[in-house]
Amino acid sequence: MDLDFTPVLDSGWFLVGGLGLTLALSVLTIVCSLLLGGALGLVRCYGPGWLRWPIVFYIDSMRAVPVLVVLVWTYFALPIVTGFVLPPFWAALVALTAHISAYVAEIVRAGVTSIRPGQTRAALALGMSRWRTIRSIVLPQAVVRMLPAFGSILSIAIKDTAIAAVIAVPEYMNRSQTVAGQSFHPIEVFTVAMAVYFVILFPVTRVVDMVYVRLAHLGRS
Amino acid sequence: MSAAAEARVNAGRAADSVPTLIYRNVVKRFDSLTVLNGVSMEVRHKEVVCLIGPSGSGKSTLLRCTNGLELIDEGQVVFDGKPLPRDWNGMRRMRRRMGMVFQNFELFPHKTALGNVAIGPMAVLATSRERAEAQAQALLAKVGLADKSASYPFQLSGGQQQRVAIARALAMEPEVMLFDEPTSALDPETIGEVLNVMKQLAEEGMTMLVVTHEMTFAHRVADWVVVMDRGTIIEQGPPRQIFQAPTVERTRSFLSHLGWSG
Amino acid sequence: MTFDWSVVWRNAGALLQGVELTVLLAVTTMLISIPGGIVLALMRLSHVRALSAASAAFVELFRNLPLILVVYSAYYVMPVATGLNLSPLTTGIVALSLNVSAYNGETFRAGIASIRKGQTEAAYALGMGRWQTMKEIVLPQAVRRVLPVLASTWVSLFKDTSLVSVISVDELAYTSMRIRAQTFRVLEMLTAMAAIYWLLGYPQAKLVDWINRRYGVKE
Repeated sequence: MDLDFTPVLDSGWFLVGGLGLTLALSVLTIVCSLLLGGALGLVRCYGPGWLRWPIVFYIDSMRAVPVLVVLVWTYFALPIVTGFVLPPFWAALVALTAHISAYVAEIVRAGVTSIRPGQTRAALALGMSRWRTIRSIVLPQAVVRMLPAFGSILSIAIKDTAIAAVIAVPEYMNRSQTVAGQSFHPIEVFTVAMAVYFVILFPVTRVVDMVYVRLAHLGRS
Repeated sequence: MSAAAEARVNAGRAADSVPTLIYRNVVKRFDSLTVLNGVSMEVRHKEVVCLIGPSGSGKSTLLRCTNGLELIDEGQVVFDGKPLPRDWNGMRRMRRRMGMVFQNFELFPHKTALGNVAIGPMAVLATSRERAEAQAQALLAKVGLADKSASYPFQLSGGQQQRVAIARALAMEPEVMLFDEPTSALDPETIGEVLNVMKQLAEEGMTMLVVTHEMTFAHRVADWVVVMDRGTIIEQGPPRQIFQAPTVERTRSFLSHLGWSG
Repeated sequence: MTFDWSVVWRNAGALLQGVELTVLLAVTTMLISIPGGIVLALMRLSHVRALSAASAAFVELFRNLPLILVVYSAYYVMPVATGLNLSPLTTGIVALSLNVSAYNGETFRAGIASIRKGQTEAAYALGMGRWQTMKEIVLPQAVRRVLPVLASTWVSLFKDTSLVSVISVDELAYTSMRIRAQTFRVLEMLTAMAAIYWLLGYPQAKLVDWINRRYGVKE
């Protein structure tokens, strides 16, 4: 098996452009998912009862359906329903956010409910308002406990952007496919792709682990 | 220890009894901490020896060095006339001849009481299932739990679990039984039932080395008591001496701290 | 805009076959990946440095690669590397198995490590050997511990089978999108695809919740 990596190098800038889009999509997805998922999780824990079951239904539905299906439906079917066409990047952002925020909501719920009721009672006994209690006592501890799970969300978000290749988002996976198809050297192209993704993903979980180890004591009660 | 020193220390013990276990200047270190600092003692055939002393004195470590769960750094442990081997497989063969009972019982939660008692002979001695289970049933009856043979550990009280653990160790027909604080994790109500089983074993002539805080038990059942503190033996002798007329000040203060009034 | 939902009923047979293949993919992968995960965990815990390092490297590699990339790579690399001409289905199973085995490897390692040291000591005290202790005492308990995590992994796997559609394996996603291309009924077919996955996946997710409640280890 003789490998020829020159086609990869020749298309270097093309691929780097794709990588930039991968990172942009990842970051935006993560930010939006944290916001939406965080909101959903908090409303589920503290909000009015009638909002809970739609949120639970939404979360469970996103757990049941593959990311690929959500991506494809958002890009191809949603325009038919709304009459409004989303370009691939934004369709991917919407779909990925919708999917991942469900997991974030679950993490938030698990983190908040892991704080012993005694903590809340102690805060209320001191005279704090319910909202103040949540903000100053429950959430800080809960957030520390959620860190490892958030780390895996980061990893999942970056990996899922690769699936957006399927709806023609010109991110790194998609561009690798293009180069592979044109150069007839798929092995080299995909080997480089594997190295690139590994180099991005491996540190992400490590850094989160390290941050958690530093902060873990703040979440113990 | 010189022969004369040994004779002095062991005065008060039956002169013709054979030692099952001999510890000669045993040293054990964990990183920079010396946990056992030259421990020398004997456990004789059919004797009940109780090891007492404050926490951290090395009592449990000495026990674990006896059946090879820990390896000693210096000195010798002699079992049945031969020093303990230092390789895993050799040690494994030795362990079959010793029984150990743990503070936390350590019953296997996925097996019934009968299963727990039978697994030793089945797995290690290649005993057939029928024979192993019949023997197990008999042993459970001996410790007073014949009707609990089909129960799982989580369905049993602490005292019951510990009695199953004793039966499990006995199933291997050991030559010596090692007890590592067998009642420390029990509720006061259940301590008695376990101590009674141990007393019965002693009366039947089992050689026993018991690490314990139960001074009444040591006083009544032990043939020999060894007091340890910070990795060394500070005093050893018959229970009468240790509990009623200790010769070493530290023994006196340790016992009085436990509220022992003789 | 008119919708023709009958296209779904007319192609129900093909869709059902797609579902069958999805299930086949998931089941086969799990059957390979559970032993695979146990082997990787045992390697990781072994005293032999080479085995431990190899297992750690394998697990880290496949946990840090997008599955869709592994699928494509398997498709192009395997014929060249093995000299065999494997069907897309087999390639898909290989890719999925590599991925899920890595996750299971970590799951089983954590499960085995969570068994108290006292359990192995009690087994050794009876005279049992290392392998015997693993087989009779540690693994049976570890498997019970990891059951909730394995259930979650199963649900993820079930959804991930959709990714092998990119190498033309005829499972549910590929079949649905093929029919969409043939009939031009985009909304109907894509919604049907989503609905079928939902119908299959929702009960599975609820089952995982139940397993977690029943068998989850409470700290």
